[in-house]
Amino acid sequence: VLALLRTNALAVFPWTLSSSGAVLIGTGLYVWVSGVNRNTSPYFYLALLGALFLALGPYLRDYLQHHSPRRARLEACLIPLFCASMVALLLLPFGYYFLFFWELMALLGFVLICLEEIEGGKLEAGSGKPESNDVEVPIPATLTLRASTLLGARWFFLASRFSGAGLLLAFILALRDNRALPEWLNTLVWIGLLIGFGTKAALFPFSLWLPRSHPVAISPLSALLSAGMTKLGLYGLFRAPDWMGRPPSWVDWTLIVLGLIGAVYALVRGLSEQDYKGVLAYSSIENLNLLLVMLGAYWLTGQPLFLLAFFYHQLAHALFKGTLFMASGVLPSQSLGQLGGVWAKAPFTAGVSLVAAVAAAGLPPLAGFMGEWYLVLGLLKTGSILTLAVGVLGLVGALALVLYVRSFGLVFLGAPRSEGVADTAEATPGMRLGLFSLVGQLVLLALLPAQVLSGFGSVLTYPVVPISIAMVLLGFGLWRWLRRWPKRLYNTWDGGYGLLEPRMQPSGLGYSELALRLFPGFALKHTLKPRDLLEELHGTISNGYVWLAGKFQGLQSGSIHLYLMLQFVALLIVLGVAFL
Amino acid sequence: MTALFLLLLAPLFTGSLKWLKARLQHRQGPIVFIDYLNLGKLLRKIYVLPQLASPVFILGPLLSALGPLLAAALLPILPSLSFAGDFLLVVGLLNLGRFSRALAALDTGSPFGGQGSYREGFVALLTEPGTLLALTAVALTSKNFSLATLPNPSAQTSIAIILAVAALALALLAEGARVPIDDPSTHLELTMIHEAQLLDHSGPLLALYELASALKLLVYVALIALLLPFNTLLSFFLVALIAWLGLAYLETYSMRIKYSRLPDLMIYNTAAGALALLGMVLRVKL
Repeated sequence: VLALLRTNALAVFPWTLSSSGAVLIGTGLYVWVSGVNRNTSPYFYLALLGALFLALGPYLRDYLQHHSPRRARLEACLIPLFCASMVALLLLPFGYYFLFFWELMALLGFVLICLEEIEGGKLEAGSGKPESNDVEVPIPATLTLRASTLLGARWFFLASRFSGAGLLLAFILALRDNRALPEWLNTLVWIGLLIGFGTKAALFPFSLWLPRSHPVAISPLSALLSAGMTKLGLYGLFRAPDWMGRPPSWVDWTLIVLGLIGAVYALVRGLSEQDYKGVLAYSSIENLNLLLVMLGAYWLTGQPLFLLAFFYHQLAHALFKGTLFMASGVLPSQSLGQLGGVWAKAPFTAGVSLVAAVAAAGLPPLAGFMGEWYLVLGLLKTGSILTLAVGVLGLVGALALVLYVRSFGLVFLGAPRSEGVADTAEATPGMRLGLFSLVGQLVLLALLPAQVLSGFGSVLTYPVVPISIAMVLLGFGLWRWLRRWPKRLYNTWDGGYGLLEPRMQPSGLGYSELALRLFPGFALKHTLKPRDLLEELHGTISNGYVWLAGKFQGLQSGSIHLYLMLQFVALLIVLGVAFL
Repeated sequence: MTALFLLLLAPLFTGSLKWLKARLQHRQGPIVFIDYLNLGKLLRKIYVLPQLASPVFILGPLLSALGPLLAAALLPILPSLSFAGDFLLVVGLLNLGRFSRALAALDTGSPFGGQGSYREGFVALLTEPGTLLALTAVALTSKNFSLATLPNPSAQTSIAIILAVAALALALLAEGARVPIDDPSTHLELTMIHEAQLLDHSGPLLALYELASALKLLVYVALIALLLPFNTLLSFFLVALIAWLGLAYLETYSMRIKYSRLPDLMIYNTAAGALALLGMVLRVKL
């Protein structure tokens, strides 16, 4: 942690970040593998974050070259601080300092997203054309519209406030931990925890902020947010029974039911999303909601397979989603309607994304499949009405498959849909190193599930190594054989007209239209327009919050009497709760 | 073992199906070994590589053949590898084949490929839940959730097995791209699902695709056969015979239904799967 905090120079910090990442992986995995109990679970998350930091170091070093020096320096300081606040959070028990770092993490995340906005705003002010030092920027950063960034940052901020408020509620109520809480207070505490941690972990109705705010951040930051920060919400929920006692069973059912609904909802919305990083963010919601289902099912039944699923899938999700988000950093645009054929320009990035997309679609033998395998087996072992959730998992699996075929296919394959694609630059060596380390870890994770989970004792796995070997050997043989085959280069078959245009390829919405017809809530008029009541509700709430915040600004007038009065009232509330 | 067995048998199954269909339509028909000859012909040809193509173009047919092949290797028709939860891996490997095929279809920038790709995804959405539910219901009857330890039907399990067979039979039609979901002999690009994805693949790539689709059909036949209470090899041939006659009948006397009506048909797949699982969970006796 100290090593992270001490750094403040652009030249040093990537290496510090990487090396501290490596240290975190080493220590984290060592402790985690040596035995799983309530005290070692933070080490699992340390290892998870370490894996991300390790890749982020070299990636950032090259990525920040494209930013103006001032901004790059600022980011070089803030990103390690953000990382450090996440690490500090894991080392602390639930309490005042935990809340402090929780808020610090949210605040730093917000500031980092806002940096994008400031830069984007400058761009717009500069007569719509990039300044000279920004011209050759191959990253989406400067193309982002100011308005959407502002909106994204606002969503992020509001979600953080929501989450912080929930935690504070739980914290205040649980101050009196020496006595058992009455039933209704315990309910309130768990509501607070569900809102507090659930918002960060994208629990279903509180998940809309994620696809709004993660895509507008710079790619490495969205990787860090989506793959790293959201996991801390899961960590909080996982540890909550240690701090607050056994959750009541309505919490378990809430997690399971909302998680299943949320996973389907996120994928359906993801299919109607036109922004590549937005699609990835929706897929994050799906994975996080499945993880919440695993946790809820574990609490409900005590079946250890759910716990295996919970931990394994978190690691898998962090790695493949980190890869996908970081790889999206080379794209010239984020709109599915303007991309296509990026493979020809950036083969390494595309290949890495393909591996991650196969994992993210939950296909064997890569890591994304294992979590779902454990989950279904766990559901089978319970043999109760809960087993019917398998049907929903089937739907989720199919939807995820379509989602990733769509997003990968439209971005990396086919013909370019706009001229901007021609300017795509392949990832620089540092970025490649970062991406490679993530994919390497993803493959290792897929091949060594028993070793990663060995803290649980000898765990059930399917014979992943023989199957992978068979697949790689056969695949490689066939590949060589087909590459050597005599072939002829020719145009794509165009029905004999010779008029094939990129526009004839399916567009982002055209691709998913047929599938979206299956689900309610999509008005198919001239364009496909999702009508989302949930989103409108969120809008109302956030407007209300801003209005309320405006009213409360009157309190911050600097009047010492008012402050003293406020403190007195706060003290009264705390005492009231404690003596109730 | 099973993989090799099914691989060798697959072209015979589809080839003889063509023959039977022709006979039912009072045509002369090809010889029953036509698909071996077809494969041989394709393997003597060069293939056309579209200029837009990336390595996914070749990976598509490759993985799409490897997925069902490895899935077949897990089916205990003949002695094979089996473990807890192997049926999930079978479904996963079949999905891997589907994923790579749908991606490769997008790779050429062809509008037809794109159409085939999203239609395939649409069919997947309709088929997947029912198939998984049905297999889960059957797995609940076995000792360690493996396909190798399925017990003989009893009063407790027969309801799940009957419904699961119904669900899997519908899934076979959808996954094998057969009438009434898709027409394997169509030549009109606008109406194709499976074939639209293969339009730009030729020579050995097309051979792999053809082999994969025939193999997938037999994998589903084998899955249904595993549920039946006879000797597995015997029931495999029995189910293959029934599927052979049934498919030829369907393709002669019925027609493709339009896409917007597909959910009306496939809802029976989902419903049968859900009922099978519900019956197992609630311990309904027949």
